[in-house]
Amino acid sequence: MDSLTQIVASGLTVGAMYAVSTVALSLVWGALNVLNMGQGAMLAVGGYIAYTAVTAFGLPIPIAIVAAAGVGALVGAVLYFLVVKLMIGKDGFETNVIIATFGFALILENLVLRLYGAYPLRQPIGLDGGWHIGAVHVPYQNILLVLVSAVLMTVVAYALKSTRTGRAIRATAQNRGATELMGVRVSKIFLQVLMIGGGLAAISGIMLSTITTLAPTMGYDPMLKAFIICVIAGLGNIYGALIASFVLGLFEVSVQFLFGVRFGFPALLLLVISALIWKPFGVFGRRKTDRL
Amino acid sequence: MMKNDSAGRFRTDIVIGSVLIVAAIIIPFVFPTRYVIGQLTIFFLWATVVSQWNLVFGVAGIFSLAQMAIFAMGGYVAGMLSLYLGWPLWISMFFGGFASVLFSVLIGFACLRLRGAYVALLTLAIAQTMYLLIITDTACFMRTGVTCRNFTGGTRGLAQFGDFGFRELLPYKYMAFGNYFIGLVVLIFAVAFSIFVIRSPIGLAFRALRDNQTCAEVRGISKFKYQLLIFSSSAFFTGLAGAVYAGHFRVMGANTLYLNLLLFLLSMLIIGGVGRVWGPILGAAALMLVDEVLKEFVNWRLAGLGLILVVFIVLLPKGLAGYIEDIFQRGRKNKATVGQDE
Repeated sequence: MDSLTQIVASGLTVGAMYAVSTVALSLVWGALNVLNMGQGAMLAVGGYIAYTAVTAFGLPIPIAIVAAAGVGALVGAVLYFLVVKLMIGKDGFETNVIIATFGFALILENLVLRLYGAYPLRQPIGLDGGWHIGAVHVPYQNILLVLVSAVLMTVVAYALKSTRTGRAIRATAQNRGATELMGVRVSKIFLQVLMIGGGLAAISGIMLSTITTLAPTMGYDPMLKAFIICVIAGLGNIYGALIASFVLGLFEVSVQFLFGVRFGFPALLLLVISALIWKPFGVFGRRKTDRL
Repeated sequence: MMKNDSAGRFRTDIVIGSVLIVAAIIIPFVFPTRYVIGQLTIFFLWATVVSQWNLVFGVAGIFSLAQMAIFAMGGYVAGMLSLYLGWPLWISMFFGGFASVLFSVLIGFACLRLRGAYVALLTLAIAQTMYLLIITDTACFMRTGVTCRNFTGGTRGLAQFGDFGFRELLPYKYMAFGNYFIGLVVLIFAVAFSIFVIRSPIGLAFRALRDNQTCAEVRGISKFKYQLLIFSSSAFFTGLAGAVYAGHFRVMGANTLYLNLLLFLLSMLIIGGVGRVWGPILGAAALMLVDEVLKEFVNWRLAGLGLILVVFIVLLPKGLAGYIEDIFQRGRKNKATVGQDE
């Protein structure tokens, strides 16, 4: 019984970690067709900015989080003006932008490495203490993580569905040309989405670093997992991503418990590949048909 | 018109290739320093890998990031066959190549029915899985004395499988020449294969698929079949390069699966010119030179690489080879340029 509780508790935490790193990725992909390989580095930037704000400037935690989100949005804006803006509408946008954001990630990672060093740091933001269920200890931090991930995703999904900007973003995702004809400035939407994505990534980075540590490459692994989740949910489907995160988190932890830690990720991948052979556009995704 | 043109291109390829081969044979005798020959050997291997990646990405349009996983598979299998079965590396290197082909057929069946970005994500995840499985490998596979050796070599890497035997065969002064010429031969075959693919009907099939996929498919060109064909056959040379890499360094490690190395090679492909016969070689040479310069600024090596990658993909997406081609085409004004390049 205790081991079952342990699996569920860890599975939910892992799922929340995945969910939190998936939000921004899913939003940017869904709206812009931009697969941002800089996501991992942007997670790290968020974590480090919050760290600096608290330790070096002694700011209260909420302000530190806002500051980190602000810097994240700024990084998103830089990504837009220096990379994405120059590539929109050119041949092979979908693949070339992946490569370009790879390069952007290298630059960001190197900057973080030069500023903070490679030695892992402890994120000062976080809750102490925990909750005991039987013999299982569940830190409050993990519970907070689950809540934050669920709230973030719901807010993003709601904003996309019901706000004016959200509608414009969805329209852009559906048909860029028609949206432009309706009087929406598509370039502005691109900038907005990348800035929102940057801010969300920063918050995700803080959340991740509270239960792991801060390191310049800390974002790479979560990014990869987030990719897998986006793939299985159908790229750009935020509710699907939320469900997939928790299901895959529980699945991974169960496999790790039953067969050993090293088989967690391979099993995850195997599951995703079989799911994709069954449904090539994601479990929650819909096939896009092109007219001739 | 089309026929003449492709025959002309083929002739140009032969001329360029011959000149490069002659130069590559002369160079080690002119600059016989260990460092130069060692760097050029590595250049041959990277150019081989990138030339095959060019077929996969540039010609077949598969944005695969499993290229280094396929490379590592070749190196590991060759090393293991030599280590555990005692085969000479000269034989096991070919089996390394075959293993890579098999591996990529499996990857192909899993990934090639998906759309562009999905392929990139899954292949990257496959490479990362391979990396994780190697570095977390701690189980005892073989006991030699008191030390315990794990199957893949784990974090320390697979070693003690020998090399190509040039240390004994050649006099000290020419020792490095052996691996140099193996690398060169592999590269020559790899480039010959890529010229064959790009200038042959297979290359035309892919051009048709890219220009108008529906039309091409209606005419009976199966995208999946052709993609799988190129993806698996190019893996042979990639795997072979991996095996030669293992023999050259006498060790095969999970460091070949680092993301930064993958991006280094991706930069070669992009900067050289995607989809062009001579792009990979030009790109590999350019990046090896840039890397020599960046060694002076070792703290900013990653950022330098990233910057070059961004600048090229954003501003010069045709790469160096594409621009050289453009210059030549502008030179021949009497020949009307019929939208050759997409």
